[in-house]
Amino acid sequence: MNAISITVNGQQHSVEVSPDTPLLWVLRDTLGLTGTKFGCGHALCGACTVHVDGEATRSCTARISTVAGRSITTIEGLSADGQHPVQQAWLADQVPQCGYCQTGMIMTTAALLAKNSAPTDSDIDEALGGHICRCGTYQRIRQAVHQAAANHSALETAPTVPATAGGAR
Amino acid sequence: MNTMRTATNTSRREFLKSSAAGSAGLLLAFYLPAIGSTADASEQPFEPNAYIAIDPQGDIRLVVTRSEMGQGVRTALAMILAEELDADWSRVKIEQGDCDPQYGDMTTGGSMSIRSTWDPLRKAGASARDMLLTAAAQSWSVTKDECSATGGSVIEHKKTGRKTTYGQLAVKAASVPVPKDVPLKDPKDYRIVGTKRARVDGQHIVIGEAHYGIDAKVPGMLYAVVARPPVFGGKVKKFDATRALAVPGVKKVFEVPAVEMPPLFGEERKPDSGHQHYLWGGVAVVADSTWQAIAGRRALTIDWDNGPGAEESTEKQRATLTELLKTPGKELKKIGDPDASIASAVKTVEADYETPFLAHMTMEPVNCTASVRDGKCEVWAPTQNPNGMATALAGVLNLPQSALTIHITLIGGGFGRRLCIDYGVEAALISRSAGTPVKVIWTRDDDIRHDYYRPISHHRLRAGLDAQGQVTSWLHHIAAPSTDSTFLGGEVPDTGGTEIAGAGLPNGTVANYLLQQSFLHTTVPRGYWRAVDTNWNHFAVQCFIDEIAAATGKDPLALRRQLIATKQKPAGGSDNEGEAPVNVDRLLGVLNLVAEKSEWGKPLPTGRGRGIAGLYGFGSYVAHVAEVTVAKDGNLRVDRVVVAVDCGQVINPDLVAAQIEGGVVFGLTSALYDEITIQNGQVQQTNFDNYPMLRIADMPKVEVHLVPSHEPPGGIGEPGVPSTAPAVANAVFAATGKRLRRLPFQTQELAKS
Repeated sequence: MNAISITVNGQQHSVEVSPDTPLLWVLRDTLGLTGTKFGCGHALCGACTVHVDGEATRSCTARISTVAGRSITTIEGLSADGQHPVQQAWLADQVPQCGYCQTGMIMTTAALLAKNSAPTDSDIDEALGGHICRCGTYQRIRQAVHQAAANHSALETAPTVPATAGGAR
Repeated sequence: MNTMRTATNTSRREFLKSSAAGSAGLLLAFYLPAIGSTADASEQPFEPNAYIAIDPQGDIRLVVTRSEMGQGVRTALAMILAEELDADWSRVKIEQGDCDPQYGDMTTGGSMSIRSTWDPLRKAGASARDMLLTAAAQSWSVTKDECSATGGSVIEHKKTGRKTTYGQLAVKAASVPVPKDVPLKDPKDYRIVGTKRARVDGQHIVIGEAHYGIDAKVPGMLYAVVARPPVFGGKVKKFDATRALAVPGVKKVFEVPAVEMPPLFGEERKPDSGHQHYLWGGVAVVADSTWQAIAGRRALTIDWDNGPGAEESTEKQRATLTELLKTPGKELKKIGDPDASIASAVKTVEADYETPFLAHMTMEPVNCTASVRDGKCEVWAPTQNPNGMATALAGVLNLPQSALTIHITLIGGGFGRRLCIDYGVEAALISRSAGTPVKVIWTRDDDIRHDYYRPISHHRLRAGLDAQGQVTSWLHHIAAPSTDSTFLGGEVPDTGGTEIAGAGLPNGTVANYLLQQSFLHTTVPRGYWRAVDTNWNHFAVQCFIDEIAAATGKDPLALRRQLIATKQKPAGGSDNEGEAPVNVDRLLGVLNLVAEKSEWGKPLPTGRGRGIAGLYGFGSYVAHVAEVTVAKDGNLRVDRVVVAVDCGQVINPDLVAAQIEGGVVFGLTSALYDEITIQNGQVQQTNFDNYPMLRIADMPKVEVHLVPSHEPPGGIGEPGVPSTAPAVANAVFAATGKRLRRLPFQTQELAKS
């Protein structure tokens, strides 16, 4: 196995894995970045979504050899402290239930808003149509995407942090 | 926490013990009853199983002994405590308790968590508050009644304006005797309960730092996948690991035995139980990474002994179920003389309904991490049933319970799948054989093809009407495999009908009633699925009420009101074992509220329709109205679902709304898409492409309306599901005049020819 060089959240890593290894397992098993989730392994559910050069990409089917040298962003690198407008909107609308699919949802939404600052409902359907939430949070997701779009245009303003007791794992 | 173990000689009537935790502050231990526990425990030795700690810095810690899987239990329990304690909400911290005998029954299921902890948690909070007030009064040398808790963990002496905090009082409060019979708050004084609060783990989720079972990291850990028998009950005949071992990173390949496991909730297994809860067995591939393990598994050659299960198919099962309905089944409930009544009825209505096997398909696939070494076993398990897992681990590994440590992780969706504990035992056996900690990951294919499935069922319903169109007899025959045998180890037949209807409808509303069940014997494993038995029985019952309404020219809502009004008291009782009898007024209340909010009766354009269904179940009253559009080609779109909920005292209205929204999606997915089918004894579905889920574009508008109430809280995780499918089926009838009697809906039948 030859070392493959990838850039994740601005940091360069050299990983020794077989070239057909999906990016997902390199992130999770090799680099320990477990915020990216395994859901289906066939790009059917969206839980594993990351950004590759800014594009929302299913890491469970992206071979590591195809992303070598490209810039990868995971949920851990989306913002320094959860202050990305999409993350803030997700909290403001209390979107997550179990939360397992939500990091993928958030990554796709962030990529969408980077290109389309005011998505319509059908833009949202198209962008998030590849994602599944078994808890059924879709109504709040739609609301939060619109909210995030509004916040996005006012990116410089400090978003509100909802009251939380925190501390739970 | 171990200091509390010494308090064993007092009666449970005392319920609470304080610990002189010294400089650590106030530590209160209290007792939470087990799920379904009805016995008077007051004379049992006091064995606390829940804990509150207040430290001198003012942090308040609650050890949560239920599993969080999205229902918001950590948040809701913290809110209940904070309310009676008058605590500063931002200082309430949640700690997930490991599985430990001192916590008693830690099972999370049946929408029981709030119901079983509401009283004891409030009493514990109120007692702690009272002790803090006593401590404040002592430190100021005033009487306690001059002091008041003003919220935010502050106590005030009004006369002098002095204030102090819980943190400052924590050490002193620890030496105050535990009060008896502390009054609980009047609900009008609630500051936290009944308000919208953000869930305590939301921040971790959105930054990717919430740690689920699949995210466990243990030093020296390897990764494993298992090739399990493709046919239920199958076994490994022989296997060749040569090519698998040649895959880079693959460390070990070995057989995992198929093991019969004890019933899940601690009962003795009966010899004739038809007990289906077993460890699958198969061949494990252990590697340096998940992907290498998967690649190794692909390179395995396995010769399976499929056993008799290979003969099974959905086609044969459906034919058997149809046959079973032709002869009388086991009588589960009988009122009056249903056979004579229907024989003499002026008019009869009859219809058959059908539901399929269903998988759980939690977004976090089944997984478990285990480390079995040196006579000890440690697991990191996304489980709803830690106690059952402990029993099974101890039995299979031949270890004492004291050698087990079970960490209960955050769960990426449970829905009942994680009441089964097969995957925990499997991981432990693999770790033991590998000699290292191992994370066992189930691929989606593994997950869907080795589930414990919501059972297939057929239903025949018959109603007899008198000359005035009143329902005088109701006969319901269910044909289905036993589910309870998986969990309770009871005799077959033993299941099912105990949760019939769930709505108090029609059970007890007609003078002559018969419920019977016939049992399908199958190797397909069964398990509890969100809303348990109610999710299939309720579909048949609520659709059939609609059919009677149509046959008698009545409005479906009006017929429901009429049936409720004639509810026999007390013959109806509860439809769910161990639950309070149905409250007719509350059931009527949610039906009326949902009718009002959905504009029931207001005409809709051609091709559109509304349907209604109402439930009493899990301690709550929930009614749905679905609004649908059916296109000429039969395409069905659910536009809007209005839900009225009376779940008693609401802890957090946003969590309730979220559970109902999710319940509607869960119900819709089963109504529109899903069916597990068996061919040659194997599940044919493999992933989300052939077992689809509702996606965002098909999400209807869901409106949740809560009935203000101070009745004890009811469950909310499950009761949002069952009425969804029948409300939609009834709406389709309103739109098209066509009945959908089979789940998932065969919408091709709706196309206009």
